[in-house]
Amino acid sequence: MSDEIQIEIQRIDDRTTIIHLAGDVTTFAEKEINAAYAQVSNNGAINIIFNFRENDYINSAGIAILIGLVTESRRNNQRLIMSMPSTHFQKIFRMVGLSQYADVYPSLEDAQAGVA
Amino acid sequence: MNEPRHTRRVVELKIPSELGYEKVAREAVATVAGRLGFSAERIADIKLAVAEACTNAIAHGSPPDSLTTIVVILTADEKKLEILVKDPGFGSPPTDVTVPDIHKMVAGKAKPGGMGLYIIHELVDKATFIKNHEDGSNSLQMIIYRMDDEAPADSNSSGQEEKSQ
Repeated sequence: MSDEIQIEIQRIDDRTTIIHLAGDVTTFAEKEINAAYAQVSNNGAINIIFNFRENDYINSAGIAILIGLVTESRRNNQRLIMSMPSTHFQKIFRMVGLSQYADVYPSLEDAQAGVA
Repeated sequence: MNEPRHTRRVVELKIPSELGYEKVAREAVATVAGRLGFSAERIADIKLAVAEACTNAIAHGSPPDSLTTIVVILTADEKKLEILVKDPGFGSPPTDVTVPDIHKMVAGKAKPGGMGLYIIHELVDKATFIKNHEDGSNSLQMIIYRMDDEAPADSNSSGQEEKSQ
């Protein structure tokens, strides 16, 4: 089921990297998302932008994966930024309180501007 | 004879009790909700609620056996969409809904998770567990009311249904 998510990593500069996600953010995506985070961390990224698409899907298991990354990023003194055009995504993030720990922007352009 | 106008639609499906198959229920309910004229935002909410209910039924209400089935019944009428997710009753349904403590999770003092039921309750208008004492099954009944401005997508077909019933 790991083909349910596609991940691309885009390095912007020494400090900032974008992890582009496309597909379902569920328990089946855990290995790939954690691996992507580990890779960008090992490369020294301080600002990590998770870029979701409008029609992507996330469930509670996917949210749990992201909470785990918030914990990890705080240990590593990194900043997690979420770019999510879906108002449904934004609502779920607010509902579980995740937006208190990660900056949420409605577009990738806004997220990148927020980092600069 | 002037019979009452028929607006009821029922879709019933069975999925294996195996993680990943909740996606089948998710897509089915999206189709039904779309036909009823729910907005894209509410369809996303309903999809997530159904998927979470199915995931709970698979993880907690069934033995770890993909031969076991979870039954999902979608019943739509002019006022609401009712969704029933029925498992064999392997576990006990939760007695209360707890608000997830994100602060403990982020601090590493609680394992991230256990948010499914809370999310369901936040996304639907009513969510109630029903115990069937005859067959031992547990069902989660979810109700989503249709808004006044959400006209059914297939409202023109109701006249034909009225004749055939």
